Amino acid sequence: MTQSQARSDNVAMAGGATSPAISVRNLSMGYGARVLLNDASFDVRRGEIMVILGGSGSGKSSLMKNIIGLYKPMAGDILINGDSLITASADEKAQLQRKLGVMYQSGALFGSLNVLENVRFPLDQFTDLALADKNLTARMLLRQVEMGYAESLMPGELSGGMLKRAGIARAMALGCDILLLDEPSAGLDPITAANLDRTILSLRKNLGFTFVVVTHELQSIFAIADRAIMLDPVSRSIIAQGKPADLRDHSNDPRVRQFFNRQPDAREQKASN
Amino acid sequence: MSTAIASGSGTDNGISVVLEGRITAYTAAPIWQSAIDTLTRNPNRPVVVDASRLEYVDDVGIALLFDLIRRDRPADAKVEIRDLAPNLAALVRGYDPKDFAAPTRGRRPMGMLEHVGRATAQHIAYAKEMVGFLRACAAALRQALTRRGIVNWGDVLDIATEAGANAVPIVLLIGFLMGVIIAFEIGLVAQQFGAVIFVVNGVGVAMLRELGALMTAIVFAGRTGAAFAAQIGTQKVNEEVNAISTFGLNPIHFLVLPRLIASMLVVPLLAVLADIVGIFGGALVMATFDIGFRQFHNQLLGAVTAGDFVLGIVKAAVFGLTIAAVGCHRGLATGAGAVSVGLSATSAVVTSIVLIVVIDGLFAIFTS
Repeated sequence: MTQSQARSDNVAMAGGATSPAISVRNLSMGYGARVLLNDASFDVRRGEIMVILGGSGSGKSSLMKNIIGLYKPMAGDILINGDSLITASADEKAQLQRKLGVMYQSGALFGSLNVLENVRFPLDQFTDLALADKNLTARMLLRQVEMGYAESLMPGELSGGMLKRAGIARAMALGCDILLLDEPSAGLDPITAANLDRTILSLRKNLGFTFVVVTHELQSIFAIADRAIMLDPVSRSIIAQGKPADLRDHSNDPRVRQFFNRQPDAREQKASN
Repeated sequence: MSTAIASGSGTDNGISVVLEGRITAYTAAPIWQSAIDTLTRNPNRPVVVDASRLEYVDDVGIALLFDLIRRDRPADAKVEIRDLAPNLAALVRGYDPKDFAAPTRGRRPMGMLEHVGRATAQHIAYAKEMVGFLRACAAALRQALTRRGIVNWGDVLDIATEAGANAVPIVLLIGFLMGVIIAFEIGLVAQQFGAVIFVVNGVGVAMLRELGALMTAIVFAGRTGAAFAAQIGTQKVNEEVNAISTFGLNPIHFLVLPRLIASMLVVPLLAVLADIVGIFGGALVMATFDIGFRQFHNQLLGAVTAGDFVLGIVKAAVFGLTIAAVGCHRGLATGAGAVSVGLSATSAVVTSIVLIVVIDGLFAIFTS
């Protein structure tokens, strides 16, 4: 039994072996009357790294917040391991949310707790484990994200990359199946970003996590993504799905090619000429 | 869904612990305790952990498995995990027990002496900083008086509106209630000595010289001093203060000066309102003691002087300046993170109120 198989078995027992880890069905979302995404559907398969891409303002982070249940969609359904997040009762929704580990763009560590206490926080809240056992678990998680040396530092003493790593360790603490990362590479130098990509790949390989990653960093996308979906702010829809290399090399959609080839808008190009 | 079980049994060759079912963050606590108890009870016997019946382990389960094999035991009493999935076994073996040998570094509790020492050092450093800051503020105010274009009067007006005009209802309410309470409390005592008319003197002098300015300042410290500290503190955390400096602007001129001037102007105005409604509240109460409004008016004019009124106004201006200076200083001294902003706001209110009372005491000594 591998760890990834174990995670699948876990779901099988819950009655969802064949269902995708996340299934988004005919989702419409936005703020007030402003629609960001209309009638979107896609699946995130178990054990894959799915990247949500799109330009600024296309609704990537909002889509993630809908998936984790922070925002209520205008229409449609979101299934986590086959169970609807939208029709779930408050208790069922909390249970489903605990299957999702989330790392926010800034890491969102609690400023009054040190790194170890931050990673231990979910264990403190939801388990009866002895303090020594929680500490051991938290320290092992920190080593998984190569942060073992920083356990006694406060969040204010961490660099951007360290904050994100600690955020990932905290997201994993309750043994979730699915990790959602909001802009993990944003604001990081290339080496730190590459190290973080390596950590994501190693967590998938060793622990069998399913990842949903919101990003527009092209190098990261090609380094980690099995599949990608691309959002478009003008048509308010998903305009492409597939392997990033296929989208870059074979897409017929000029917006997709423009994104992957880092080309400016035609109007701006003319202006610069 | 099966629950994980750790069962131990002894044979002549050693102890066997069977782990079965699911070990997750939610189910691990009793299993972990039971497995460790078995190990502790048999310190000198080898232990075989049978993991063949495990259905699922999460990160906490991996920590449990690692905890079983990392323990320091005699060479002939080691713990061996059998039939663990190869990936999990590799994962558990990937951790080095030496890395976890050092105890978790918790927060070191401070002794009382250390507390006192640190607090004293902090207050001395704060006093030094505050003196430097006040010097910079004084220089900025001097420049504002002598040179044009230093003060952004638009900002001053905005701050005065928010800190002054929007504070009028609460100041009116507090001032009115102060007048009512003083008149009523002193009136009850004075009635016993047939000296009710002199309550007017008490209300007039107390409101004009002391309470009008003092209560307004306390409301202003809670409402506006805290807001100044939080606004500037958030700007500091977001590096807006650094951005202002990088543009070649002086943060004292840009952020502090408008707040100092606005506060120095609006607190006296608010204090005048508090004086008026406080005396009006006193007059209303005195009417219930058979002192009519005309009699109240005549007695009041004989009891208070223009000097009492001016003293109250000067005090209010000094209080306003103090509250704004403390609030702005606390904001600029904010550290990193949301917690620091909260601490700055709290500290601004507490320090302002303490300083207001101290300054009021000094006024009492030098003007009596």
